[in-house]
Amino acid sequence: MDKSFSKSLAQFDRQFFTGREKFTLIGRGGLGGKAHGLAAMEDILEQQLGGRFAPDIQVVIPTLTVITTDFFDFFMKDNRLYDIALSEARDDLIAQAFQKAELPAPLVGDLRALISQVHTPLAVRSSSMLEDAMFEPFASVYATKMIPNNQWDADTRFRKLAEAVKYVYASTFFKDARNYMRATKHTTADEKMAVIIQEVVGARYGDRFYPHISGVARSHNFYPLGHATPGQGVVDLALGLGKSIVDDGVGWTFSPAYPQANPPYISIHDLLEQSQTSFWAINMGPPGEYNPIQETEYMLKFNLTDAERDGTLRFIASTYRPEDDKIVFGIAEHGPRIIDFAPLLKFELIPLNSMLRTLLKICEDRLERMVEIEFAMTLDERRGTPARFGFLQVRPMVVSDAKVDVSLAELVGEHVLVASESVLGNGILDDIQDIVYVKPEKFSPNVTQTIAGQLEGLNQRLTASHVPYLLIGFGRWGSTDPLGGIPVNFGQICGAKAIVESTLPEMNFMLSQGTHFFHNITSFRVLYFSVPHWEKYTIDWPWLGRQTAVAETELVRHIKLPTPLKIKVDGTTSRGVIYHA
Amino acid sequence: MSNKPFNSFDLAQSQFDRMADRLGLDDPARELLRWPMRETQFLIPIRTDDGPVKIFRGFRVLHNDARGPGKGGIRFHPQETIDTIRALAMWMTWKCALMDIPLGGSHGGVVCDPHNLSLREQEQLCRGWVRQLSRDLGPRIDVPAPEIMTNAQHMLWMLDEFEAIRGERTPGFITGKPVGMGGSLGRLEAAGFGLVFVLREALKELGIPPEETTASVQGFGNVGQYAVRLFQQMGGKVVCVACWDQKEGTSYSYKKESGVDFNSLAGITDRFGGIDKKKAAALGYDVLPGSAWLEQDVDILIPAAIENQITIDNVKKIPPKVKIVAEGANGPMTSEAETVMAGRNIFLIPDILANAGGVTCSYFEQVQSSMNYYWEKDEVLGKLDVKMTAAFHSVLELAKEKGLSMRDAAFYIAIARVAQACRDRGWI
Repeated sequence: MDKSFSKSLAQFDRQFFTGREKFTLIGRGGLGGKAHGLAAMEDILEQQLGGRFAPDIQVVIPTLTVITTDFFDFFMKDNRLYDIALSEARDDLIAQAFQKAELPAPLVGDLRALISQVHTPLAVRSSSMLEDAMFEPFASVYATKMIPNNQWDADTRFRKLAEAVKYVYASTFFKDARNYMRATKHTTADEKMAVIIQEVVGARYGDRFYPHISGVARSHNFYPLGHATPGQGVVDLALGLGKSIVDDGVGWTFSPAYPQANPPYISIHDLLEQSQTSFWAINMGPPGEYNPIQETEYMLKFNLTDAERDGTLRFIASTYRPEDDKIVFGIAEHGPRIIDFAPLLKFELIPLNSMLRTLLKICEDRLERMVEIEFAMTLDERRGTPARFGFLQVRPMVVSDAKVDVSLAELVGEHVLVASESVLGNGILDDIQDIVYVKPEKFSPNVTQTIAGQLEGLNQRLTASHVPYLLIGFGRWGSTDPLGGIPVNFGQICGAKAIVESTLPEMNFMLSQGTHFFHNITSFRVLYFSVPHWEKYTIDWPWLGRQTAVAETELVRHIKLPTPLKIKVDGTTSRGVIYHA
Repeated sequence: MSNKPFNSFDLAQSQFDRMADRLGLDDPARELLRWPMRETQFLIPIRTDDGPVKIFRGFRVLHNDARGPGKGGIRFHPQETIDTIRALAMWMTWKCALMDIPLGGSHGGVVCDPHNLSLREQEQLCRGWVRQLSRDLGPRIDVPAPEIMTNAQHMLWMLDEFEAIRGERTPGFITGKPVGMGGSLGRLEAAGFGLVFVLREALKELGIPPEETTASVQGFGNVGQYAVRLFQQMGGKVVCVACWDQKEGTSYSYKKESGVDFNSLAGITDRFGGIDKKKAAALGYDVLPGSAWLEQDVDILIPAAIENQITIDNVKKIPPKVKIVAEGANGPMTSEAETVMAGRNIFLIPDILANAGGVTCSYFEQVQSSMNYYWEKDEVLGKLDVKMTAAFHSVLELAKEKGLSMRDAAFYIAIARVAQACRDRGWI
């Protein structure tokens, strides 16, 4: 399938922005999943969406060229990298070895030519044969590196691009990716990496470069809000680079069916605390510490004051008025800003929501399944329109279609360990005998990083023995803020087949809302339970405490039951229950 | 049959004359550019390991340095003549100008056969050569480099001698030094890779995917080896490689229809590019006469050994399937042979373009040596590719625009640039 696309797409002609083709290839190998998804949509976007929302919104796939997988093969073999890549060496050692290696000779001329004429930021993104592929969800395991690409001399820009490509190659063999491979029963031999070099959609403000809006839209919502149904999908928007949504789990969430409805925050105070207060941008100023093996080497976080100074809040923010404890639309008044995209969603300054609904439908029809798309936008700074909508990625969502019924009556009873009416996924598991849980009496937001490390060790042992387990913890799984939850990546808990995310009364945690991290969980049919302490159904902590631990640290317990748990999740009602014997 | 013995300098001058007519150069320009500006011929006495002293003959020719310091190789070869050196120096001038690098053209050599010299004797020869020329060499005067049967070790001996005479470290004196001792990463690969970069562009121009092509290569030294390696990496198949057999004093072609295996063949090749005949046969190669490489039914011929290999006598043996000839060697084809080839519509990538990767990377090395800061190989090869590709397209564009052959277009560009530099300096 890949090959057919690679044959129909044009070869890179050493003209990046000025060339006739905006989607080109370097090499004759595979495109990898991410590039494949974009290639599949290229013509359809043009045909079905091209002029439909013009002139308000111009929909484009940002200019890109793909280094196909044959160069990955050359790179690995010519530099004899498989020994260290397949060893258990630390990520930084693998990354260093890859940095020392040489890119294939037939590739470097094209990279050199590309970089000589391009002075704007570039995203160097992984596009593996397994990642995001049509039937192989493998999202966010591999690296993406943003480079400012604004250095004066072409030599420096070339070096930075080469470093970024090598870093993305190296990420194929990082620990998370290896764990992921094990969890998906793949081997590294299955894997080949293509690399996408793509224009970053955004605008420069002094030392910052960022899109005015980034977003993730899904055609299925595992957490339907208010009157919305799962099939109506969900959209997350954020100011700045999409990392806020994908990695930090911060953004403005709405249903495309009810774009004017606010997310279900408990109070305005809660909304102020939970909505976006900072944003990611590419650092165009003096570089920070030189570290080619760090994904965020050229990324910095800024706060909303910076954005206001840049003039980028005008069409996306509202203001909190403390005098009457109200939110007023726009930023005419002084006061704390709230990134709620009100001018776009409530006043339809541009037909963004309508366009997203159309786009989701087009993508669903094309891929014949539920989809998730990522995008970035810039707005005209004066009027908002025309806006430029950069379509960055599409991948299918995997949803179980097995019919499971969980009635309300089933949520209570002597043998119920966990019950919830906010459950993600669908299906029944009856082969899990192991439970790994964070001890509630020892938990504190200050120890979440320690917990992450201890969970990783347990996960490694259990996955090595092919033992699936139930995982129970507090706060938002995968939070990049250690105070907001346990900062694991999916590779560190990838052996868990069911995950419970809970809160304790003294905590003020917002649980996760289907972030990128949860795409992986649902893709692998991991069942996810949300059990906040204020809800009716809770966890039977005393029963857990009575079970004998087979392994225990100060913060985490691992118990093995004599008989398996029974875990049921009803995807249509979002109800789920876990029974013990 | 041609009766007149081949003379490289005659060929170089006739190429120049043809283009001088086309460019309408005036007499002073013609006179200045069809002859070297400076020639040095000298003798180098060496005490051999056995005791007696042997006298060797050495040369250095600076053809033109209007665009920058002279740049050119040093060849150790028993059949070396002043005319060959003159021709090579002239071609270097054109090559540097064509690649648009700020260097002139020169060349040198010693009449000897290093196969018959010990390392100590070779070292004495290198040091003696530098002693004779030290006033006329230097990073801002004339910069030597390795060529046939000279290598990085020879360059280092020469550098050491030069620095001893001058009393200072001047790594920019010579190029082709070992990596870590002032050499550039990518220098070894540069000539062969450079050839394949322009070959790739020629294939694009003809609309032929590399993976559907086969090639036959004459010469398995520096140029040939790396050309084979990169061509295969691009997906092409090399079915025949020819090289000189020092023991037998003749050349052989080694053929494998399924494609030669670069690594195994390189593993049985000596440092001068000679393949071990017995081992090659044991690896399943057909051992054919040295001239057989030219007669293979392939798409691409790469003469990458020495001058005068495709002549009026053998040009008709080139099979009809051949679409491209990429000249890895300097002057591998006579004018008469070229006329025949042109009639057959074979796409020629001329030597001053096809093998310019070596001098281009030498220039990169000199730049790095002058800065005493060395680049990664990716960076060297990336720059090389861009330079080679740009030069190819400028030649192709001119050839199309003016209805010239690729060789004439290349000479046209180069000679025009050098003549202009001479005019700008007020020499003519």
